[in-house]
Amino acid sequence: MSNNIHHEGSGDLTEPAKNIIYSTDPADFHYVSVNVPCQSACPAQTNVPAYIRALYEGWYGDSYDLNRIVNLMPGVLGRICSRPCEQKCRHGEHELGRAVNICHVKRAASDHKDVNHVLLEPLFPPLGKKVCVVGSGPAGLAAAHDLSATGAHVTLLEALDEPGGMLRYGIPEFRLPRDILTTEIESILRLGITLKTGVRVGADVSVEQLLSDYDAVLIAAGCYTSKQLEIPGEHLPGVLSGLDFVMQIASGHSPEVGERVLVLGAGFTAFDCARSALRLGAEDVSICIRATEHDLRVTEDEIYETKREGIRIKGLIAANRVVGQMTVEGVEFSRTEPREVLSSGRRRIIPIPGSEFIEPADTVIVAIGQGAEPIPSPGKKNERGVLEGDPKTFRTSVPRLYATGDFNTGPTTVIESLAAGRKAAERIAEDLTGKKFREWSIRIQDAKITDRQRSWDFIPRQEMPSVPIENRLNPCPTVEIEIGYPKGQALEESKRCYLCYLHYEIDISKCIYCRLCIDSAPRDCIKLVSEVIVGRDGAIQELVETSDWRNVSAVVIDNSRCIRCGECVRVCPVDCISVSKVELVERALQGGGES
Amino acid sequence: MTARHVVIIGNGPAANEAAISLRTQAPDARITIISKEPIRYYKPHLLPDLIAGKVSEQDLYVNPLEFYKENDIRLRLGQEVVHVSFATNEVVMEHKEVVRFDGLIIATGGKPRIPEPLQVFEDLMLSLKTLSDAKVWKERLRWVDSVLIVGGDLTSLSFTKAVLSLGKKVYFILHGDSFWPVRFNEELSSEVSQRLSDRGVEVISCRKILRLVMASEDSVEVETDGRKLRVGAIGAFFGLVPDVKFLARSGLAIERGIVVDEFLRTRFEGVYAAGDCAQVYHPKLRDYWVSIGYRNARNLGRVAALNLLGGQESAETAPAGIFQLDDISVNTSWWTEF
Repeated sequence: MSNNIHHEGSGDLTEPAKNIIYSTDPADFHYVSVNVPCQSACPAQTNVPAYIRALYEGWYGDSYDLNRIVNLMPGVLGRICSRPCEQKCRHGEHELGRAVNICHVKRAASDHKDVNHVLLEPLFPPLGKKVCVVGSGPAGLAAAHDLSATGAHVTLLEALDEPGGMLRYGIPEFRLPRDILTTEIESILRLGITLKTGVRVGADVSVEQLLSDYDAVLIAAGCYTSKQLEIPGEHLPGVLSGLDFVMQIASGHSPEVGERVLVLGAGFTAFDCARSALRLGAEDVSICIRATEHDLRVTEDEIYETKREGIRIKGLIAANRVVGQMTVEGVEFSRTEPREVLSSGRRRIIPIPGSEFIEPADTVIVAIGQGAEPIPSPGKKNERGVLEGDPKTFRTSVPRLYATGDFNTGPTTVIESLAAGRKAAERIAEDLTGKKFREWSIRIQDAKITDRQRSWDFIPRQEMPSVPIENRLNPCPTVEIEIGYPKGQALEESKRCYLCYLHYEIDISKCIYCRLCIDSAPRDCIKLVSEVIVGRDGAIQELVETSDWRNVSAVVIDNSRCIRCGECVRVCPVDCISVSKVELVERALQGGGES
Repeated sequence: MTARHVVIIGNGPAANEAAISLRTQAPDARITIISKEPIRYYKPHLLPDLIAGKVSEQDLYVNPLEFYKENDIRLRLGQEVVHVSFATNEVVMEHKEVVRFDGLIIATGGKPRIPEPLQVFEDLMLSLKTLSDAKVWKERLRWVDSVLIVGGDLTSLSFTKAVLSLGKKVYFILHGDSFWPVRFNEELSSEVSQRLSDRGVEVISCRKILRLVMASEDSVEVETDGRKLRVGAIGAFFGLVPDVKFLARSGLAIERGIVVDEFLRTRFEGVYAAGDCAQVYHPKLRDYWVSIGYRNARNLGRVAALNLLGGQESAETAPAGIFQLDDISVNTSWWTEF
């Protein structure tokens, strides 16, 4: 670890401030970004190893708090997060098995914490500033929370009847029970946020008026305009917008669906539409996707549960037109040819000429994405008339007017949106006061050798218990499908985490080059190197390995390969291997830091 | 291409036909077959006959080990590939060895498919894909007098014949989703039902299986949306899914199989897929096609090898609904052969 460090109070809710070093050295940030892949992959930078470890130790409340301090709604996210962390989990690497069910552990922390669990938050004194946040989806709620905690007086405006945005109106109840959502929203609002529902900005109140009433205005109005296929027949009766479909259901209505339903789209909304259609009485439901099932971005669990309910996924087909006279009768598709995966992560798809065929349908639900709805306001707009905000500063061209979340970027995931809301809040607070309130740094602390046992690496991934198929549609089609881990299962899953925040390092001045550590390592994580190439920021960029003993200049633990089994520490005859806990943490800067 | 080192992953009919075609066409090529199964190449389509007692295990094996030595084909059995890097043309083995290749033919075949709604009952169902599966069936059929077959793939019907020949009672549940690989419709359903009934099979009409429960050591209770019955064993015959988990995140497009064009090319230079694990787009059919059966697998293996060496041979594809039924050299609907 580098020397660009300082000692301070912890800021952590779970440990007293002792023997802790905080670093803001870029090399240390680089280290964490490479070596703690789950936390780096999380848009909110949730400290995954820490909360999994807390749960393992039986501290469910602490595990919940370690989530909540950065992602605010662990009970919600533990159910519906897109789980970018699991895609990067080291346990999922080729020869290591399957990724840890990180999200399910998060939910277990929420489920099993004490019913009277006390929420602790760092709160700053009142700022004497008024901020209006427009939109109470994940971005708006997160921004409102952080601004309120910072000391601003926050008013949250919501156009719909209840707060939550897409969480409430876009995600079906069988995936996200409303009592969980309501509780976590309440936990945010009770910091003193004034919520006003049924207020549509642009119609009921103008942005100009808000700018005159408040010190800053943040637009976090989400994406509520459905994208259209722009193919012939799209406006035939029986063709529904996916977003309208799920919103109607969430509002207590039951849209009519035919026996045969085709859902066009590949995201969570498409899956929600398909599963909802089944609950509304459809007999034969298929999700039609342009690429392959393996290219889908929804979680494996979601795909599995959807297929278990009898919904089919038809891959490698692209819709050309909706066919029918007075109403929809089917969709004409072309087969598609999958090409390379683009930098966006999506696969390039080419329709194959001459491969057209018609799939019969009584209802077609189009769920191919959404866009932001333009709100009348001053300031620079994009080509669709939507207010533009800077992706980093969230500032618009109008002073004191900001934009964030999906409204600013287009549709993203809940966790991305929530993270964007928090960042926007920090920027607004800084602009209003000239002070920083929170800071990310690397906390380094001596750690004992891990007590993980090698046998834990072979524990199978614990599958989420779910409601039996025959009980899903009747008697209550809104029943939550995933039941949640019981404590024992959560414990087993928590054991699978390698705890990548542990950093193993060989002190070369003590090493006697006996190579016992290399012999004991279960994979090629300890390397004989001739050279360590360091980047401009001081971070290790490359280890140049050598098999020629004469060229060996060091024995180095490659923490990006290490699975933290601790075998090397146990066999080292000269105790030259140290273990430290290296974490990316967000700290409240007491007294307010200089901007 | 001048194939210097061709690696073939798999050891079934497609893989072996590819190997011998390569040897014939490229005498100097280095050829390596890698297979996770620690067993010699055998004819999987004869497994129902093995169960029926019509052939012995020895009859199943195709080539003696000397065959590979004589043809200078390196056979690496019991070794599993866990990753393929197409950027560096390397195959990574489970035991950490890295094998470089100039050409690669993926012919890993398929593994039994269990539809998601039935996966909770997986432990109560037997499949028939490998020799060891056949041995399990042989043993089970010694003790039970009835079998329920769920599904409707190619193997299911030859297996039904084998079970009937042993004097056992056969129940059959046909289901649209499980009738693989053809697209199911009412006409097909009634035709297949009729043929099964003519043979003495009791075809059960139901929309879904609600519950399977182990009733005793040698009986399973089945509850469908229409009736309950007790059988000695349940066979799951829903076709195959490609056995290509190791290729996840490799960049290959995988749907019902590895997606290839009519020349069996993947989108990576020098990389081909053949046999049950290949999903071929064929312009004549104007559709994707997963070819099944011993003969088809061998043909695809041969085509992949020839095209890897620079050929331009199109994979033969029968018209939709028509199959080459294993060693029966007729183009016909396979269920009519039942």
